[in-house]
Amino acid sequence: MFIGKIVKSDSHINYVCQIYGPREVEVEPAPEDYAFGRFVRIAVRARQGDDPEAELHRVLGMSTEPRTYAVGVIYDTILLNPSFGSLGPRLSNETQVELFSPDYIAERAVLIYVMVLGMMQERTTPEGQTEVFSIMHGVPLLSLELGSEIETMDDEQVRAFHFFSDPDRPDEPPYLHMGYLPHIIAQRNSLLPMVALCIIDQLERLFPQNLSLLSIVKRNFAWRLKVETTG
Amino acid sequence: MVSDSANVPPVSRGRTGRKPVGITKGPGESAHEYTFVSRDDEQVLKNGEYVYYELNEPDEWGQNGAQPVARRVLGRIIKRVPLQLYPDTFLAEPEVSPAQVAAMVGYDARANELFELHVAIMGYYDPESGSFINPWIPPQSGKQIFLADDEMLSQILCRKRVGQPGSATIGSLLTRTPGAVPIVLSVKDFVSTHLAIIASTGAGKSYLASVIIEELMRPYNKACVLIVDPHGEYGTLDQLPNLPDFSEESGEEGVEGYRAQVRIYRPEQVKVRLSSLNMGDMRHLLPEMTEKQQHLLSRALRKVNEMKRGTPWSAQDLMEAIRKVARSKNDEDGEGADDSSTVHALMWRIEQRFVDSFTFDDVQHLDLREIFKPGQCTVLQLNEVDERDQQVIVATLLRRLYQARMNTERGKVHSGESYLPYPVFVLLEEGHHFAPSGTEVVSTQILKQVLAEGRKFGIGVGIISQRPGKLDADVLSQCQTQCIMRIVNEIDQKSVAAAIEGVGRDLLDNLPALSKGQVIVAGAAVNTPVICRVRQRLTRHGGESKDAPDIWRKYFSSEARESRRLQEAPLGNNQGFSLLK
Repeated sequence: MFIGKIVKSDSHINYVCQIYGPREVEVEPAPEDYAFGRFVRIAVRARQGDDPEAELHRVLGMSTEPRTYAVGVIYDTILLNPSFGSLGPRLSNETQVELFSPDYIAERAVLIYVMVLGMMQERTTPEGQTEVFSIMHGVPLLSLELGSEIETMDDEQVRAFHFFSDPDRPDEPPYLHMGYLPHIIAQRNSLLPMVALCIIDQLERLFPQNLSLLSIVKRNFAWRLKVETTG
Repeated sequence: MVSDSANVPPVSRGRTGRKPVGITKGPGESAHEYTFVSRDDEQVLKNGEYVYYELNEPDEWGQNGAQPVARRVLGRIIKRVPLQLYPDTFLAEPEVSPAQVAAMVGYDARANELFELHVAIMGYYDPESGSFINPWIPPQSGKQIFLADDEMLSQILCRKRVGQPGSATIGSLLTRTPGAVPIVLSVKDFVSTHLAIIASTGAGKSYLASVIIEELMRPYNKACVLIVDPHGEYGTLDQLPNLPDFSEESGEEGVEGYRAQVRIYRPEQVKVRLSSLNMGDMRHLLPEMTEKQQHLLSRALRKVNEMKRGTPWSAQDLMEAIRKVARSKNDEDGEGADDSSTVHALMWRIEQRFVDSFTFDDVQHLDLREIFKPGQCTVLQLNEVDERDQQVIVATLLRRLYQARMNTERGKVHSGESYLPYPVFVLLEEGHHFAPSGTEVVSTQILKQVLAEGRKFGIGVGIISQRPGKLDADVLSQCQTQCIMRIVNEIDQKSVAAAIEGVGRDLLDNLPALSKGQVIVAGAAVNTPVICRVRQRLTRHGGESKDAPDIWRKYFSSEARESRRLQEAPLGNNQGFSLLK
């Protein structure tokens, strides 16, 4: 589900997105769709070829070309209201404005901050199945564009993003990866460690077989965040 | 702009087959140490392992002037300090390996450990002098460090090669696979400048000693060896003549080849001729004599020696001499002097001690030519002999040996019992009995003399002791080759460290960690101190501890019960008949 689009970036990995407001999309995103710690993905625009057939496939959604996504996590939400504090004289109240000048746009928005954690590439197989074939954790090489749409990821996609074989050792069995943790910790933001805990909680639900492995990281985080900061 | 890298020579790939194991970091804690850093993926850089770097001496160029001589400066790893370890929190779950946690957070490299290794520089080997020459400078930072290969080590750790005349292969280097780097002692050196084997009980002293004896009896050594064996542990050496390793064809028609001989003297066969005892021995054997008794005895000894002029005398002769001396003394002193009680007491003591004695005999004694023969190993079993008598046996034997060797070397004798025209090696088990520290016993003096001057006359001594703390420090320090096995007792460790300057502190720190059959060999017989794994004996070992539970269990086996029942039955074993008699 698409929940908004990029309106600004703070750095190569920090993006500010505006959530679609009323009447902008058919199904307005609910707060749970842009909850704290939610995994989202943003498509990276691919170079357009001049092959008309490929263009046709793309338009029809039948392209087998790989699609690249930046995968991120929502780590902050801001409710923006430009009219807050302007208690100046007004001609009519809100209800009247809505009734009499419907083209008056209320400049209110929900902004979310997304930190990019890695990339994933997927393609559609000739059988029509979607297949994730390459995953990278860490800072992506490509940057995103303003206006790119943000899409929430379902459990299956989150699982695929975390469970894979090392790219340089494809023959070995896949295992759980959280290669973005070091760069989450390296960021200076008080909410990011909390988002890391939140991610671990989600992964515990998705990977019950890796509970003890996750508990090591979780306990470590929890100790530092909760005990050391309070004590 | 010229980059710095232009001035740096390219890193050499090394010769084929040689892979560097690390890179030098810098100087170490002391002047002769350096440190290097290594991942040590293959876990080969153990403590005590040998590594080297190459040193190009600018003033020593090769023969044609083209290539500088690359010297391999050898060093021994003495410490291993981890530089990079997993955080403690990664070790929280016993069933999850820290590598798994590291892989999960994106660190998936296989090599994750990094060590700083401290190396004590030994120097480069100079084959001419057979010693290591210190370069007096630590290696430059960034030098490649190589692991010394087996072949190189076999050539430089020991002077002798396996099977050479004058070699004794006692085992192989501990840090390498068994047999890869043989440790070969130079027999000439340890036989002339003495050997000490020191270890706690059960560490394998007598096993190592037997291995050395085996080597000495090999056809390439054909040594003349005497073992003083207070516990009867060396009896199994009698298998030696039957083994093919200890014989050799002569190669000439009609000439008999070599075959090692072993002669074992049981305690009842070890006799000391009374006339070989001197006043010191007497004083030791008859303790707490009064001044008068001592005076009387010394005069009587002088008299009996004068009367017999070198021929053996008996206890009866000695008592006769005492009577005569006492009588003449009474005449000299005139009236009022009555020594009859002294004489009586002395005579009584001599009779008690020497007449029908187990060890002392009027005529018989150990013939030097019988017990010392090249190619023969003689074992004196003293396991039933009283400790004082043991000391006297060793003292008189060493004294006679020393005299015989001295007279032979100086050309004073050319035949007869005290003509010994070859060097000998004497192995003293339980050495602290014969030269205890803090107190002087009858054998101390002669043992010290042999150790100090035996080299000139070809008498080598090997001292085995489990309590170096109880051994006279002079005796220990005279042994120039030391084999030190596991020692746990702190006092013993200190006395070893104090007496033996040849072994570095770093090696001695390993003493409590050595296992059974592992030995630090240092001193004259090897080029540098080494930790060695003792080889398998060719003959069966005789010094094992008793398996008490096994013996107890056998006591209750059905056969043993049955035979006991027969023994204890009233009429069993014809006891009934003997009762009737």
